[in-house]
Amino acid sequence: MSGSLQNLSGLDRVIHEPARLMLVALLSSVESADFLFLLKESGLTKGNLSVHLSRLEEAGYLRADKTFQGKIPHTEYGLTAKGRTAFNEYRKRLDPIIRRLRR
Amino acid sequence: MNVQIDTALKRARGYWFIDGFTEMAAGGLFVILAGILLFSGYVPQASFLPWFLSVTGEIVIAKLFGILVAILILWWLKDHFTYPRTGFVRGKRVTVMQILVILRNVILFLFLPILVLLAASLLIASARNFLASMPVWFPVGLGLIWGGVYLLAGGWMGLRRFRWLAVIMVLTGIAIGIWQFAIGLPTFPSNIQSGIFQPIVFETIRRTLISLCFLILISGVILMISGLVTFLRYRKENPTPYAEES
Repeated sequence: MSGSLQNLSGLDRVIHEPARLMLVALLSSVESADFLFLLKESGLTKGNLSVHLSRLEEAGYLRADKTFQGKIPHTEYGLTAKGRTAFNEYRKRLDPIIRRLRR
Repeated sequence: MNVQIDTALKRARGYWFIDGFTEMAAGGLFVILAGILLFSGYVPQASFLPWFLSVTGEIVIAKLFGILVAILILWWLKDHFTYPRTGFVRGKRVTVMQILVILRNVILFLFLPILVLLAASLLIASARNFLASMPVWFPVGLGLIWGGVYLLAGGWMGLRRFRWLAVIMVLTGIAIGIWQFAIGLPTFPSNIQSGIFQPIVFETIRRTLISLCFLILISGVILMISGLVTFLRYRKENPTPYAEES
């Protein structure tokens, strides 16, 4: 197996799951976003989205800032420094694999 | 997979433009600025300096005040219309250093060359001809720069309509340049007198400002139309706030 394909086994499995990858990608280019934005953009169900957000939070990749807008609770999700590093690392590992597969 | 990641990244980056409000606000601001420039450009003034200072002052005040008002209106509109429908996104914070870098680039690549040209026109004969043709090349150049900015921004945020805006800006700049060329350029006397405020230089700057104001005006109108179309499409796709859907 070539070096770049060996990278495949080293991919971060928390991020590699397609739904979580989508969420991390969405959050990587912003400071934070709320549940509704992630729900609309990801196309996941509420339950599914909650599960994936929890999984990312458990891994230390995501932080949830809970505030109130009047009497309504409002939660914003943002990537932690660890999450951003993990995503950048994931992309670095993925790029050569994709390039090799395209050849 | 990388394509999907890129799409997600771009969608989040371009979220500020999803509802068309930003374009409409920016377009409105451009139209007001163009109005000030156009009005000031046509009002006959006794001398260059008071005129220049008054135009600069009006534009700075209109810009600062307009940007502040536009931001407040945008926040209110997004808070009441966009966020309840498609959610809230907090953009990445812009650091002071990043603002300084942008300012430095604007000064280095836009204002400094123009100032150097103005200064050179007093000393070098060939530069005078170049200065005299400023009403032609300035809108063409600015249209190209503006188009380039739209193209890069559109690519970065995945907004296809920005490509059309880029094309329209370039064509508008060229059209204004042709128009200015067609009506004839101010001619400099071979033996130029000292001082930048002589009538011929004043006329060149005035004509350039008129070119500029038409470029800003057309850009503003196009942005407002683009924003309105985007808004109507957004409203059609998201007719009610999310909470009311369920």
